[in-house]
Amino acid sequence: MSNTVTIIMIEDDEGHARLIERNIRRSGVNNEIRPFTNGTEAVGYLFGPDGSGIDRKGQALLILLDLNLPDMTGIDILKRVKENKYLKSSPVVVLTTTDDSQEIKRCYEYGCNVYITKPVNYESFANAIRQLGLFFSVIQVPSAAA
Amino acid sequence: MTEIPVTSDARRRRALGHILLLAAGLLVLVAISAASVVLVNKARQDNAWVVHTVEVENQINALMLELRRAESSARAYLLTRWPEFLTDHEQAVANVVPYSDKLAQLTDDNPLQVENVKKMRAAIDIRLDQFRREMDFIRRDEPASAAALVREAAAGNTNAIIRDVTDKMRAEEERLFDLRTANADRSQILASSVTIAGSCIVIALGAIAAFQVRRSLRVRDEAEIKLRDLNITLETSVQERTADLREANDEIQRFAYIVSHDLRSPLVNIMGFTSELEELRGDIFKRIAALSHAGSEAAPLPENATDSAKPALEGADKRLSDDFSEALTFIKSSIAKMDRLISAILNLTREGRREFKPERINTRELIGGIAATVAHQAAEANAQIRVEPLPDIVSDRLALEQIFSNLIDNALKYLRDGAPGDIAIRGRNKLGFAIFEISDNGRGIDPKDHQRIFELFRRAGTQDKPGQGIGLAHVRTLVRRLGGTMSVASELHKGSTFTITIPVNWASNRKADV
Repeated sequence: MSNTVTIIMIEDDEGHARLIERNIRRSGVNNEIRPFTNGTEAVGYLFGPDGSGIDRKGQALLILLDLNLPDMTGIDILKRVKENKYLKSSPVVVLTTTDDSQEIKRCYEYGCNVYITKPVNYESFANAIRQLGLFFSVIQVPSAAA
Repeated sequence: MTEIPVTSDARRRRALGHILLLAAGLLVLVAISAASVVLVNKARQDNAWVVHTVEVENQINALMLELRRAESSARAYLLTRWPEFLTDHEQAVANVVPYSDKLAQLTDDNPLQVENVKKMRAAIDIRLDQFRREMDFIRRDEPASAAALVREAAAGNTNAIIRDVTDKMRAEEERLFDLRTANADRSQILASSVTIAGSCIVIALGAIAAFQVRRSLRVRDEAEIKLRDLNITLETSVQERTADLREANDEIQRFAYIVSHDLRSPLVNIMGFTSELEELRGDIFKRIAALSHAGSEAAPLPENATDSAKPALEGADKRLSDDFSEALTFIKSSIAKMDRLISAILNLTREGRREFKPERINTRELIGGIAATVAHQAAEANAQIRVEPLPDIVSDRLALEQIFSNLIDNALKYLRDGAPGDIAIRGRNKLGFAIFEISDNGRGIDPKDHQRIFELFRRAGTQDKPGQGIGLAHVRTLVRRLGGTMSVASELHKGSTFTITIPVNWASNRKADV
């Protein structure tokens, strides 16, 4: 993955965030990772103070999104990202504990690119994240051009 | 609630009032009728007496008329000798005695009149005797003697006596007439006033009764309206309660879902960092081994060799490493167990949320399919599964599959060691319900555990098989959602029979279910 791509990690659980980061690094991905522990901060960063997302214009972003956030649901963020003209082409990876089929279906309908359930079994978890890292290293991310 | 005895009391009082009113009305009517009969009778009697008096007077007049006729015709005959006058006279004389007899008969109730009649009879007898002698003289052709007799009779007081007596009699009858007329009038007035008074009372009672009937009608109407209102309120409150219950149930489902979900999140961390610790442990003990090797041996191994070949730990270090591993293993197995439990709760709540899709199901085919999937396990356990003819039902396919596969799995799992297993699935229809029995000849369940086995995370008997204690709880939840019931009959070492009763047509029962 090109070094200019920034990984936006929206994950309220710092432990999870740390584990995810470690395993991504282990798979050899060295891109910048910006962690956010709540929805409001993440939305503030992504869409800017005016909510238009103009600040992110021209940046290549990859969004790792948890659905269970303390202040909002990840689905709302997903919807806003996919409706925003600057951000809609950025890939969104939903990484969450929910394995409810309704929820998964809903996320794909709203335009999520990958949906991964966090397994409790750490080996599977680490494996999943590492494979995600491998996926990141080969994926082409468009810059959020106008 | 407290109003009911009061109203029933009032109702009883009102009913009593009605009965009393009716009884009073009846009594008054009877009294009026009796009084009317009595009074009318009396009035008739009084009238009869009045008529009687008039009759007596008539009789007196008739008698007097006949006497006068006899007298005048006798005189006329004496003067003219016309036989017509004689006939006339004889007729009149012939009438006098019966007339006076009749008069006596009419007045024999009144002693005064009897006395008068007697006097008059005497006078009349004298007068008749005179007539006879006059006639004799005329017949013997002695007109002078007859005339003399006429003169004598006219001069005599017989006529005066008769006149006096008749006057007296008339006066007496006049008096009686007045008296009796007054009596009759009084009776009439009394009868009519009694009738009028009675009618008034009856009308008054009728009015009261009508008023009471109207009032009770109104009370009934009010009660009816109240009842209808209550019914409507009841229906609404039942609906409200049902909605509340449904909401509470949904709330619990959501709660269980969220809780089990949120419990999973820290579990991922615990598991993750435990695994990280495990890796760290590997690194640490590798270094300890390397260091102890470096300390004990004069010629240390080359750096790259330390990395690839595992240097053996010795003595205390090895024990330490083993303890570390053991602790980590326990932590990890506990986490795995907890994860399974949470998954089970999640699945249960998900089952509770799933919408059932009723469809016609060939039950025998469905269970045959389940038996085929466990055929391998059955062969391993030396068991046979017999599926007898079963009633078809309309229900949710997935739920039924889960119910039967759980029960058949259980039957296979808990067979008696050393005896060939025999699992039978039977079924029959009864009153709109299908009854299924899954029986085995396995190890059985102690009767004291019959309730326990249906509880979540609870198991019974020897714990030599893997399991979470979820299957039967899940099955019972499903059976209940299908509108059915489930029970077990079992004895230790004799096998178990699980009985499931579910509606033949789930769709028609759905309304009662929610």
